[in-house]
Amino acid sequence: MTVAFTAPNLETERLILRPPCLDDFDALARFYASPRAEFVGGPQSRELSWRSLAMEAGHWVLRGFGRWTVVEKATQKPVGIVGLWHPEGFPENELGWDLFDGATGKGYATEAAKAARSHAYDTLGWSTLISLIADQNVNSMRVAKRLGARYDSDFTHERFGPMQVWRHPEPGALK
Amino acid sequence: MIALHGVPTLNTERLRLRGFQPADWPRFSQYFCSDRAIFTGGPMTPKTAWRHFATNIGHWAIHGFGMFVVTRQDDNAPLGMVGHWYPHGWAEREVGWVLFDKESEGKGIAREAAEACVTHAYQSLGWDTVVSYIAPENAASIKLAERLGATLDEAAPKPDTSSTCLVYRHPRHT
Repeated sequence: MTVAFTAPNLETERLILRPPCLDDFDALARFYASPRAEFVGGPQSRELSWRSLAMEAGHWVLRGFGRWTVVEKATQKPVGIVGLWHPEGFPENELGWDLFDGATGKGYATEAAKAARSHAYDTLGWSTLISLIADQNVNSMRVAKRLGARYDSDFTHERFGPMQVWRHPEPGALK
Repeated sequence: MIALHGVPTLNTERLRLRGFQPADWPRFSQYFCSDRAIFTGGPMTPKTAWRHFATNIGHWAIHGFGMFVVTRQDDNAPLGMVGHWYPHGWAEREVGWVLFDKESEGKGIAREAAEACVTHAYQSLGWDTVVSYIAPENAASIKLAERLGATLDEAAPKPDTSSTCLVYRHPRHT
């Protein structure tokens, strides 16, 4: 018997957001092994990346929400991981975005994060949302600004170190 | 929570082996954050333990098999975890066991649950062999592996991340 969970897919103009699965492993392991992962716990071994992938699925089951693998419609390739995140120890529900090598500079993080944020507000009924961004991660801060988020406070992540809490506009402000 | 469909329940004489439930978290965390977890990746911080909890559930979604939570037949309280484990880097598919508390030791619980999992691996999952990876210092686990009829396989490859562990291979009971 197949073991599976059901999570929603989201679609934007150029992207499909679907739950992570084993097919994403190589792309995810390459990302976590690369310098691009420096602000999110990398570089990390393939063994740990596999456990991270399993954790993504487990997060969906435990929390009822999670992060999606972002697939580029034009190529059908995974270009990043974006979504809603709240592991043990996070101060609040978070919206996060990690783009794989070669996928930056196209507005994909903003496009996918907007879809994830709409899901949080419109489908899950959340009233606020933060993004945690490492102190040095200026690229991610740029995405946060584009999404209308503002610096809110500071947070120390157990493994990633000092981070900034950026707060997104509330649902009413986006209508 | 979103339901994880398709996780079987195995029943033994005294025990039920079932899928993870969110309510198992406190006992899981207590164990993995304690010195008892020294041979199973611990002691962890609560945050790392939660990631491991989610990883255990995701293992089911990825492989279609994974670790079960062990309870008494008439009580849903988790006593430990026993089941099938094959993360990236493992040389072979494994049957592993953990008892959360010392007071569950010495009652044959791990043995009864592990036996059911070895049988399940051969008969239902269709594995052609089953190993258990055990730290050389983990005398209690070595004893259990031997009671289960497993034998030390010194030539077997080890997990990428543990060059010192012992590999015990389980016989097929037909």
